[in-house]
Amino acid sequence: MKRGDSLYKRLLGWLLLPLLVLGSLILIQAWVDAQRTADRAFDRLLEAASLAIAEQVQWQDDRLWLDLPPAALEMLATDAEERVFYSLVDDQGHVITGNAELPADPRQEETSDDTLLYRDIDWQGMTLRQGVRRTRLEEWRIREPFEVRVAHSREGRDALTAELWRANLSGIVIMGSLAVISLLFAIRSALSPLTRLRRAIRARDPRTLAPLELPLPRELAELRDTVNGLLTRMRRVRSNQERFIGDASHQLRTPLAGLSARAELALRQDDPARWKEALVAMQATSARTARLAGQLLSLTRLDNPEYRPDLVPLELNALARQALHDHWGTCHRQGVDLGMETAGSEVWIRGIDWLLAEAIGNLIDNACRYGGRRVTVQVEDKPPRLTVEDDGPGIPAQKRLLMLRPFHRDRDDQEGSGLGLAIVDGIARTHRARLQLSAGHDDHGLRVTLQFTGDTP
Amino acid sequence: MNRPGRPASRWLLLLFLVGTFVSADESLYYPAASDGGPNASLVIHGALDLPQMSPLLEGFHRQNPGLEVHYRNLTTLALHERFLAAPDEADVLLSSAMPWQYRLANAGHARSLDSPAAYRWPAWARWRHELFAITFEPIVMVVNETVIERFGEVRGHADLLALLERHAETLQGKVVTYDPAISGAGYTYAIEESRLSPRYWDLVAALGQADTELVETTGAMLEGLIEGRYLVGYNLLGSYARARLADQPQLRIVMPEDYTLVTQRLALIPHQAPHPAAAERFMDYLIDKTGQTVLARETSLGAIHPALEGAGTATSLRQERGETLRPIILGPSLLATLDDLKREALLSRWQREFSRRASR
Repeated sequence: MKRGDSLYKRLLGWLLLPLLVLGSLILIQAWVDAQRTADRAFDRLLEAASLAIAEQVQWQDDRLWLDLPPAALEMLATDAEERVFYSLVDDQGHVITGNAELPADPRQEETSDDTLLYRDIDWQGMTLRQGVRRTRLEEWRIREPFEVRVAHSREGRDALTAELWRANLSGIVIMGSLAVISLLFAIRSALSPLTRLRRAIRARDPRTLAPLELPLPRELAELRDTVNGLLTRMRRVRSNQERFIGDASHQLRTPLAGLSARAELALRQDDPARWKEALVAMQATSARTARLAGQLLSLTRLDNPEYRPDLVPLELNALARQALHDHWGTCHRQGVDLGMETAGSEVWIRGIDWLLAEAIGNLIDNACRYGGRRVTVQVEDKPPRLTVEDDGPGIPAQKRLLMLRPFHRDRDDQEGSGLGLAIVDGIARTHRARLQLSAGHDDHGLRVTLQFTGDTP
Repeated sequence: MNRPGRPASRWLLLLFLVGTFVSADESLYYPAASDGGPNASLVIHGALDLPQMSPLLEGFHRQNPGLEVHYRNLTTLALHERFLAAPDEADVLLSSAMPWQYRLANAGHARSLDSPAAYRWPAWARWRHELFAITFEPIVMVVNETVIERFGEVRGHADLLALLERHAETLQGKVVTYDPAISGAGYTYAIEESRLSPRYWDLVAALGQADTELVETTGAMLEGLIEGRYLVGYNLLGSYARARLADQPQLRIVMPEDYTLVTQRLALIPHQAPHPAAAERFMDYLIDKTGQTVLARETSLGAIHPALEGAGTATSLRQERGETLRPIILGPSLLATLDDLKREALLSRWQREFSRRASR
């Protein structure tokens, strides 16, 4: 679309163009009509003149005889001073008399009646209207056929045509301008709701996300409702964000407050052993806080809809094996049995290794933290699937979805941030994978499955 | 021109010798004052004898000294024939043979003149912008004073009819008019008069009764009248009569009171005129006040220009005569005049009426 293009101009163009075409057609039609009317009127002159001549044709001295009435020729010339031509022709086509050898009647059929033909002819460089009367003598014995041909130039006809057309023209022009004016008003009033909408949007407080409330015609009401839908979604997103920020600050404040309290407590002591003890505790707390901050960061990044990382081909078995290797030590120290079931063959998916490693880590960590004694990482093929299962207390089915929300915890615990599953959910979405939470073996524990789409590299 | 009617109309034209004083191959030549190039010349073919034409041409040449002007005085026949043979020879055709000039223009041989003067020219004296009537010449009777003394005034056609009917014996052989069978002008007047009034045929019969002499030209009539061979002349060209009879007090020119035919000389510029610009200038001069003033003052032809008044103008003639003037109408009826069968019909009727009451 060009710059400066406007709905107003478009509508005007598309309405005016047909109007213009229509107007021209009407003008042409009016011209043709005017010409036909003028011809009809002036053809009466040809008819009258040829009749006046035909009536004077007699049989005299064994030949056709004509006492040409001058009035017949006068009839053919109006105020426009037309050129006048006539001829009397016998049955064999011989000119009996006349001032011009006018072309013959081209009609073939022989009719006994008095017949008349009008037509336009080009004769010696002049455009003439010709009238041919084919008739015969009506005497007692002699019924000699003959033709009276009359013609005159078109000045009178053209003048009448122009006059009739001009008379029509003024009417057409008036109607056309009325149509154009009403068109302008119609377009302006049809587009006015658009202007109102624009003003309403412009006049809004930029911070508010309240829906637009203004009456609009149906087509624009749809647009308004769509905008309102968008605003509603934005409102929801913003409230989510606000809650998230609130939760996040709360989460960060608690360990920081703990750190501060511990440091204060330690500073009151003089025993270096106590200091060391406090430092160790503070180190653990700050490490946890750092991890929490890291998780918040990755969650924020994953929740950003514009975050579109490049996915690369990955082998799931290798990934699971690496995760097992990374976490085995921790789990072992906690007395958790971390195991693995790999698929028989290689399982390739498209993904980002560090994100998936993070997801597996989170799941293992969760399983350990919530009472799992035996955690199994499982890789399946067709469809590619990554599962982490534990034999802990599990989550009741109705609460499973809630677990995906950030900072939601099943029960109060100091260690967890409540972000683990939310992060896994974000990673799953980044990979366009489905996250399923279900009960584990024999309705025990929790089984979290990432099912990848089939489009393996 | 069309072919079929031509031989007969040519024959008719042969007889159309209005300009009685004209002998063939008279011409006037006015050299250009300065060498204006090959285009600075003008060729006029006219049926108007030199004494009438020279004042006009002198006036024009005074206005346009750079133009070389060549005037050929021809009979109406020669003029017409010469035009048909060489349509690119003359720049202006000026002829009193109204039907022939009209026929040329009707067939598209004339060039349109769109000058302001042409627009000002009265509509009755032109056809389109192609054919212009430039003179106004009444058709008159000439009566010897002795006839008036003996039988009373002859003021119009009715008087003439009464005179002929009452005194046919006395006037036997003393009346003269055109022979319509051999004179184109006479034929034109006959057809016009027969259309004006059915009583014309009574007049023809009365002329026949008086054993009227039929001649070919106005000149012949005037000579006979001057010599005293005729006492009454009917249908003479007024312009020639006035010029010729200025010193003949015994002959009175009568413009009929009931109706007076008026003939006009028609000028046109042929389509193939070799010097159209000069032709238009001459035409403008003819229909402009200057040329028309010359016509009124220095010739007996009669000026048409509506702004001119006084002797020798159509305006004063109209004021004097009012509705009785019947100028020959410049219209398609002139074509009917040229119709061969029409001519035959009219002439046979004329002959019939003429010999109806013939004494011998």
